[in-house]
Amino acid sequence: MSKIVIDHLARVEGHGGITVEVDGDTVGNVQFDVFEGARLLEPLVRGKRYDEVAPVLSRICSICSVAHTLTSLKATENAFAVRVSPQTELLRELLFRGESIESHALHLFLLAVPDYLNYPSAIALSADKPAVVLLGLRLKKLGNLIQETIGGRAIHPVNAVPGGFGKAPVIEQLIELRSALMQGVSDSDAAMDLMTTLPQVDFCHCDTVYAALRTPSQDSYYSGDEVMAVSDGSRAIVHATDYKALTNERAMPHSHAKHSAFREKPFMVGSLARLTVNPRRLIGKLAVAKKRLKLQLPADNPMDNNKAQALELISDVERALEIIEQLLRAGIKDEPPVPVQPRAATGTAITEAPRGLLIHSYTYDAEGRITAADVITPTALNAASMEMHFRKAVEQSAERDDATLSRKLQMIARAYDPCISCSVHLLRRQ
Amino acid sequence: MNKPTVGIFGLTGCAGDQLVILNCEDRLLDLVALIDVREFLMASSENDTACALDVALVEGAVVSQRDADRLRAIRQRAKILVALGTCAVWGGVAAMDRGADRRKLLEEVYGETGLSYDSQPAQALHEVVKVDLNITGCPIEKDHFVTAIANLLNGDAPVYPSYPVCTECRMQENNCLLMERGELCCGPITAAGCKARCPDLRVPCVGCRGPVSDANPESLTAMLVEKGFDRQLIAARLRTFALQGAAQ
Repeated sequence: MSKIVIDHLARVEGHGGITVEVDGDTVGNVQFDVFEGARLLEPLVRGKRYDEVAPVLSRICSICSVAHTLTSLKATENAFAVRVSPQTELLRELLFRGESIESHALHLFLLAVPDYLNYPSAIALSADKPAVVLLGLRLKKLGNLIQETIGGRAIHPVNAVPGGFGKAPVIEQLIELRSALMQGVSDSDAAMDLMTTLPQVDFCHCDTVYAALRTPSQDSYYSGDEVMAVSDGSRAIVHATDYKALTNERAMPHSHAKHSAFREKPFMVGSLARLTVNPRRLIGKLAVAKKRLKLQLPADNPMDNNKAQALELISDVERALEIIEQLLRAGIKDEPPVPVQPRAATGTAITEAPRGLLIHSYTYDAEGRITAADVITPTALNAASMEMHFRKAVEQSAERDDATLSRKLQMIARAYDPCISCSVHLLRRQ
Repeated sequence: MNKPTVGIFGLTGCAGDQLVILNCEDRLLDLVALIDVREFLMASSENDTACALDVALVEGAVVSQRDADRLRAIRQRAKILVALGTCAVWGGVAAMDRGADRRKLLEEVYGETGLSYDSQPAQALHEVVKVDLNITGCPIEKDHFVTAIANLLNGDAPVYPSYPVCTECRMQENNCLLMERGELCCGPITAAGCKARCPDLRVPCVGCRGPVSDANPESLTAMLVEKGFDRQLIAARLRTFALQGAAQ
């Protein structure tokens, strides 16, 4: 029995590792180790007033701080039966797109692409191929510009509050964003061109269950209350309030992230899952791009998540432009947030963070102080699926040397775009 | 001239301060050309984990023995150790209720399995090792980071605002959320440097940059009590990002 151990995964957010036991061709124990320290934010937030919750839980993760903030606000507003204005809905969706553009550009260009081109980092890559890195940085900056303009700050947005926004952007700001997004159209096309030139990598093939927010009538990361799980041939729908049926989390001794399974099977969330559950997003330019990428849905190769992110870069830019047009047509108003009347109640919200499904569920007392908080993050949801794909990759690899196996495992881990800070913060045990 | 060797590290936190570095999109390639980045695990898979460092930039709080051991090892390697962000400088959100029974919290979140986790009450870096420079903020401001690198390259220490958020807020001629709208705003005791980002958007300051050097939480608390806020709520708000922000 030998062991492949990756002590500390590089080019991911947070602190995690991989351990795989191998005995000849037989794979023993497989572990995605999360040793990011536990901050215990869910119990620490207890007793906070409803308007203090999002700024604290946003700090779970920087890369997904918009998703955490807006999902938190949606859970709080659901508890208090607050209905935000259509303008707020649009601005929140726009903010989500900004975060997704930033996050996907960061992941594809600075973390994942160096693998495909055999560089240890984007910094090293920039010495030989500066145009590639500069393209990624431009897209990343575009995402940040959206987050700064709408959210007030690129990381941990401050402008989104219960009931709406502190201050809406003015027309001039939206016009500036529109110009930047025009450049983003050609940049996201160029990102797609780059993706099609990368070598095809498939380290494992297996049936995978995908789960994502189901948004049949519109393309949205923010609205919607149903999750659809899709596996080859079968589908199941879970409502937000029944999210525990989807997660069934267990604490694991090797990891500070709890593991999830749906009907005893691990499932994958994120870009690839979103496109699998909502294939109708892939029309026009995206349908052509999907063909160029040779992407088949549902995919049996987790590395395809990188392709799905490249497709989403295009659709995020398109959707952000549409939203800005809508806001400009309707005329942006400087409206105050909808007043919030606290009551004793529970509220749950599910959204699509850049890395997949994100769930916040809160219980409040009559004064609007939080008595219980559950947060379930995409990387925690993905942990069991990652381990399944690690196992398959080692089982299916013709090369048996540690260096090759280790490289494959790291690339699969990075394709999931894990956000390990996020994964640590999980729901209270029932 | 040899480029200074630099290591960028994250202990326990949200990685937001390292992300601010990566968010210096326009200046990132120029920046890394001036320094020799030897270790930056979040951005590189080729790291020298033992070399001596002229500057170590460390974000996050110490919440485990593993964090404490890593920090001590980094300190030994580094001539200058810089604490990046509110968690590193003050302990941050994980330290807001340090008196809580940690074993109970672990058990509540993870069940019995949690009791075996390596976990300790959150600490700021200076509580474990000597820190040479603090850059606060949740996250840090991009310009503060770039200035710090420029200053360190020239052998200077950067200087950051020593006045509260209120000063910056007033300079922008905002209506006072605290006095005029009666909102619980932490501006009077919070270190400036953010250009009063939140009150400028009509959102009260949550104190994410930690207390200003001559902060007077007692007088702010008295003022807020007078305005009808509950003393416990005020104390909890003031220590959310920096335990030391609340009146003792």
